[in-house]
Amino acid sequence: MNVDLFLFYAFATLAIGSALLVVSLKNIARALFLFFVVLFAMAGLYLFALADFVAITQIMVYVGGVLILLLFAFMLSNKELLNDLQQTTGSLFSLPTWKVLPLILFFLGIMIYGIIEWQQSTPAWMTTAIQNNTVIKSTDNNIHQLGIKFMTQYVLPFEVISIFLMMALIGASHLSRKDLQK
Amino acid sequence: MLDLFIHILVPVAIFTFIAIFTLFAVYAERKIAGFVQDRLGPMETGKYGSLQTIADILKLLQKELITPLLADKILFRLAPIIIFVAVFTGFSVMPWSQDFIPVNTHTGLFLIMAIVSIDAIGILMAGWGSNNKFSLLGSMRAIAQMVSYEIPVGLSLIAAVMLTQTLNLNDIATNQGVLATEEIKFLGVWSIKNVGGIFAWNIFQAPHMIVTYIIFFIATLAECNRAPFDIPEAESELVGGFHTEYGGIQFAFLFLAEYAMMFLVSMLGVVIFLGAWNTPLPNMGALKLANWTTGFAWGIFWTFSKSLFLVGVQMWIRWTLPRLRADQLMNLCWKVLTPLAFLCMAISAIWRILVIV
Repeated sequence: MNVDLFLFYAFATLAIGSALLVVSLKNIARALFLFFVVLFAMAGLYLFALADFVAITQIMVYVGGVLILLLFAFMLSNKELLNDLQQTTGSLFSLPTWKVLPLILFFLGIMIYGIIEWQQSTPAWMTTAIQNNTVIKSTDNNIHQLGIKFMTQYVLPFEVISIFLMMALIGASHLSRKDLQK
Repeated sequence: MLDLFIHILVPVAIFTFIAIFTLFAVYAERKIAGFVQDRLGPMETGKYGSLQTIADILKLLQKELITPLLADKILFRLAPIIIFVAVFTGFSVMPWSQDFIPVNTHTGLFLIMAIVSIDAIGILMAGWGSNNKFSLLGSMRAIAQMVSYEIPVGLSLIAAVMLTQTLNLNDIATNQGVLATEEIKFLGVWSIKNVGGIFAWNIFQAPHMIVTYIIFFIATLAECNRAPFDIPEAESELVGGFHTEYGGIQFAFLFLAEYAMMFLVSMLGVVIFLGAWNTPLPNMGALKLANWTTGFAWGIFWTFSKSLFLVGVQMWIRWTLPRLRADQLMNLCWKVLTPLAFLCMAISAIWRILVIV
């Protein structure tokens, strides 16, 4: 077993295991800190897809921004409110059994469908890429490609996302501003 | 097998460097503090107190690890490790000399910016895990400060990266001296590629880069929670901030992380703005000073001495300036540094399009 494969499975187990723990832990603070491990393991999995830029963005945006905001919100919120939130029934699903059963069967169906549809052989576009030597290697400068693609092929979605983020920023500053009319 | 050996050797070497650097930096800090405040500093242990920090670290290593009764034990124990590992990982992409870099990756600079945010999580973890109001308040202040100051740091780095056109720290370093692979110009007018020296540094590539560097320096000072931005651990108000409850080797690791962070941001400033491992001496006619003082050992020497100089400046500032109030801190960040950094970024974009190309 080579190191790459070992690392991949280690990251995958870490991601799935800690994600399960995040939803089942009763201690919200610990669950939030464990969420960091999930995000970190996900970033590791992105690296295996040669998406190093996405991996680092994941850490920067989610760990540096979203997770810290979540922790802040948790630490500054009311203690009684948190106690209400923390009173779970103890079982993984708090629905009655007859409701859970179709849900579980539905997910099982999706998984079986996925396994049936999954083709073991390499897709055609992959084999042609290998033949034409146009495969992206881990040492290639992916950011350069990404920048060119963002500014040419995907310029409209890129601009729409920036406008959307701008709207969110303006909305946030509007909500947090003190009402001067009073 | 050799590959594996190198993979183990490099982190050990970096760790040893951080440990030794911290030992000497703490001694230097106390001596500088003594000099600024017109006293002698440590004088008892060893000649001129030179063994003082070694005695201190021996004391810390012997101490019992005390965990508060009501602390969240897992988070409390993990926090110093996360804080230290975060800073430690940052060193993995820093170039020391020409092509002498632990990991030569195209996303080096971006990685360092992400690493700093992991540091913030560790501080929050320490503050919450201690179950102490001073710790929690200290870590809250630390996070508010670090998250805010990440913006001017990021923007000033973007302003620099817009000119260099790469996030690869090795390439950024190479293009600031006589070994540059691209055309470089002093203030956009004087082609400097064969002259090198101080004029080829990024800080002199465009007139606004000096302002950008000053923004970067002030903001990174706040990122490492150093005075005058040390309200997270303000002794007079908060006991010790987020590390109030820590003792023994855990405290030693927090301390190690703080000094490693100081060196990391100084080195980052050196690599991005101050010529990395390139010499400050230019070629002058027959006097090929830049060519003579460029090489593998010279590279390490220049990186090291420039970074140490900046660490020295950080210490000098710490003992000279009084601490900023929380509101002054936020005002400085959001109303002065961030707009200025935005302006620098805009100038960089125009400069790149109109002057360089």
